[in-house]
Amino acid sequence: MFGLDFTWLLDPTYQGWLVEGVWITLQLAAVSSLAALVIGLFGALGLTLRLWWLDALIELFVEVFRNTPPLLQMLFFYFTLTQLGFTIEDPVTGLQQPLFNAFFSASVSLSLFGGALCVEAFRSGLDAVPKATLEAARSLGYGRWALFRRVQAPIATRICLPGLTNVLTNLFKTTSQASVITVPELMYAAGQVYNDTFRTLEAMLLVLVIYVALVSLLSWALLRLERLFAYPGYGQGV
Amino acid sequence: MTSRSEALIELDGVRKSFGDTEVLKGISLNVGKGEAVCVIGPSGSGKSTILRTINGLLPVDEGFIRVGEHRVHELRSDREMRPLRRQVAMVFQQYNLFPHRTVLENVAMAPVQVLGHDPEEVRERAVRLLAKVHLDGKESRYPGELSGGQQQRVAIARALAMQPEVILFDEVTAALDPETVKGVLETIRELVVEGMTCVLVTHEMRFAREVSHRVCFTDHGRIVESAPPAELFDAPQDPRTREFLAQVL
Repeated sequence: MFGLDFTWLLDPTYQGWLVEGVWITLQLAAVSSLAALVIGLFGALGLTLRLWWLDALIELFVEVFRNTPPLLQMLFFYFTLTQLGFTIEDPVTGLQQPLFNAFFSASVSLSLFGGALCVEAFRSGLDAVPKATLEAARSLGYGRWALFRRVQAPIATRICLPGLTNVLTNLFKTTSQASVITVPELMYAAGQVYNDTFRTLEAMLLVLVIYVALVSLLSWALLRLERLFAYPGYGQGV
Repeated sequence: MTSRSEALIELDGVRKSFGDTEVLKGISLNVGKGEAVCVIGPSGSGKSTILRTINGLLPVDEGFIRVGEHRVHELRSDREMRPLRRQVAMVFQQYNLFPHRTVLENVAMAPVQVLGHDPEEVRERAVRLLAKVHLDGKESRYPGELSGGQQQRVAIARALAMQPEVILFDEVTAALDPETVKGVLETIRELVVEGMTCVLVTHEMRFAREVSHRVCFTDHGRIVESAPPAELFDAPQDPRTREFLAQVL
């Protein structure tokens, strides 16, 4: 059908590129997801302190990184910062090398992009904990930190899990844009394969299947997490 | 009425505004140990606000509030209020249980986490209190699995677990189905009989009449009239009290 030819898949060279590509995609996704969660958590915590200058700073960060294309952010870190002089001298060759190499640039920009979205996800979770529940905790003598740790955070985490699932699955797919700045992840590997074999359709179909499989696995795991932490009246499905 | 110096709770000239709206316009009220005082009055008259000033949930703009040895109006943070909150428990209209914790944990959490009591001893106390409010067997359920009336009785057990000297009840039956109201009121009645000091904001006039030692009628941020229930309900002095009672009775 359609004259599809997948025989090139038997070639160990192409297999190697693709396996390497999947591995780098997973690394990029893992690093930037973890960093995004940390940034999101601290950002949302910062907002609860109600300091006007901190609020302004966090809001500026969120607006900048949420409202610009992640591809532009990657290009900025990869090229612009190097041109602005953020370079290091290679001890062997004595040449100036970019401080932000491709993988590092991609990781940083994806972390900040994902982090901005995570701040919003966590913030909406904290906001959604009923004020009356917090008032009850205060009336029982809980101080600010104990109230956060024992009541607000556990409830907020459950509320923001579906939103976080959205952010993390999107972030996983966005790693493919790192191919533009030559990070040899899955998308880049596929490009190498079809440049070599001219089997564009087949390579794209294979990449599509791999992304579907990986992202489905991620969202399934996060849904399991949601169900695991569900309590009667919340998170048990509709 | 209890003399001023002996009162467990003492409010004098308490004023509180939200923005431009003055909700409390000089509230003075004494509650003696073991006394059950009901606060009645139209919506928006400041009833719930009075309760929230007693345990410091709402800071006041002006006036004097004392509970036992604590001068509430001088306390500034939740940390400073901890000894007060231990003494004064509160039960809310919407129960406000912790939805992510079981019934037993809801009752036992604060005594362990806030007061630092021994977990095993608190657990026994919680089981005993749940039996007292007729919820034995529900220990491992979650609030979301219980009826409103059952949740409210868990909230009462949660308040009692702090071993308070005073319990504030904020329209605790207002959100309940009529058939579950009775169980909650019965539980409160038992507490009053046992000598627990209670301040109750309520719309249940019959209950206020039966259970309380004194009833305060509030209107527009002031206590208009305060008297034993028989007196206040049968021979109200103030025209506003008469008008209100004519509407609700």
